[in-house]
Amino acid sequence: MNEEQLHLSADVLSSGVGLITAAGYINNEGGQAIADAAGGLMERGCGTLLIDLEGTRIINSIGVSILLEIMERLLEEKGRLAFCSLTPTIAKTFEIMGLVQYATIYPDQRAARADLEGHASG
Amino acid sequence: MEVVLHLPVVPNVELVAAKAVETLGGALGMPQTRVEASCVAIVEACLNAMEHGGGEVVVRLSGENEGGRPRLVIEVEDHGKGFDPNRTPRRTVVQVRGCASKRGWGLTLIRELMDEVQISSQPGQTLVRMSKYVEGGP
Repeated sequence: MNEEQLHLSADVLSSGVGLITAAGYINNEGGQAIADAAGGLMERGCGTLLIDLEGTRIINSIGVSILLEIMERLLEEKGRLAFCSLTPTIAKTFEIMGLVQYATIYPDQRAARADLEGHASG
Repeated sequence: MEVVLHLPVVPNVELVAAKAVETLGGALGMPQTRVEASCVAIVEACLNAMEHGGGEVVVRLSGENEGGRPRLVIEVEDHGKGFDPNRTPRRTVVQVRGCASKRGWGLTLIRELMDEVQISSQPGQTLVRMSKYVEGGP
């Protein structure tokens, strides 16, 4: 579990969907890095954000609380937040912390993009 | 089978405890999903201990056999001012929506992710003892 360093990328997909991939430990620094990437994508016009956590095996509640802040900001702007490729424990953590009430969870990036890019362009 | 760690308060040291859980849980034959749940729980317990304990955190891990069911037992001890565990209700997302601070989920996660949790606290010593059975319940 050598995951101290969070590896992150951000891309604009079609139809106003922003994709963030994050692999590593989502602690306060990791959560903030994701929040910064999310802010950048929103400034570039992305109203829907997909966060792919394939490669992330461990998180903490401080990092997830920052994801809650991203969710609130998106909801305020009538946007949409989605996650994919969660381990069962991360999915359970998101369920306990209420993220799944406001975000959509997909099994993998392919399923997420098929739905989100289709919706956004439709 | 026992592991004892004395953790200094340095960034990301909670991952050392998580690594120990991963190793011991694997040695006990615990499925990966249950190991990962235990890792999140020990990370939360260590973060709480470091934030509120104000000094070295002691972690003890052991494999035990409770009524014929093997389990991983985790203890996290700090020496802070203590708190009343009965006055830490379960956190919900409704409570934190719209609030500037969305923190305070540690004990809620620990209680939800582990099979058994006992917390004893008094000034000078707080001990969180939690266990996860190697296999899920019947």
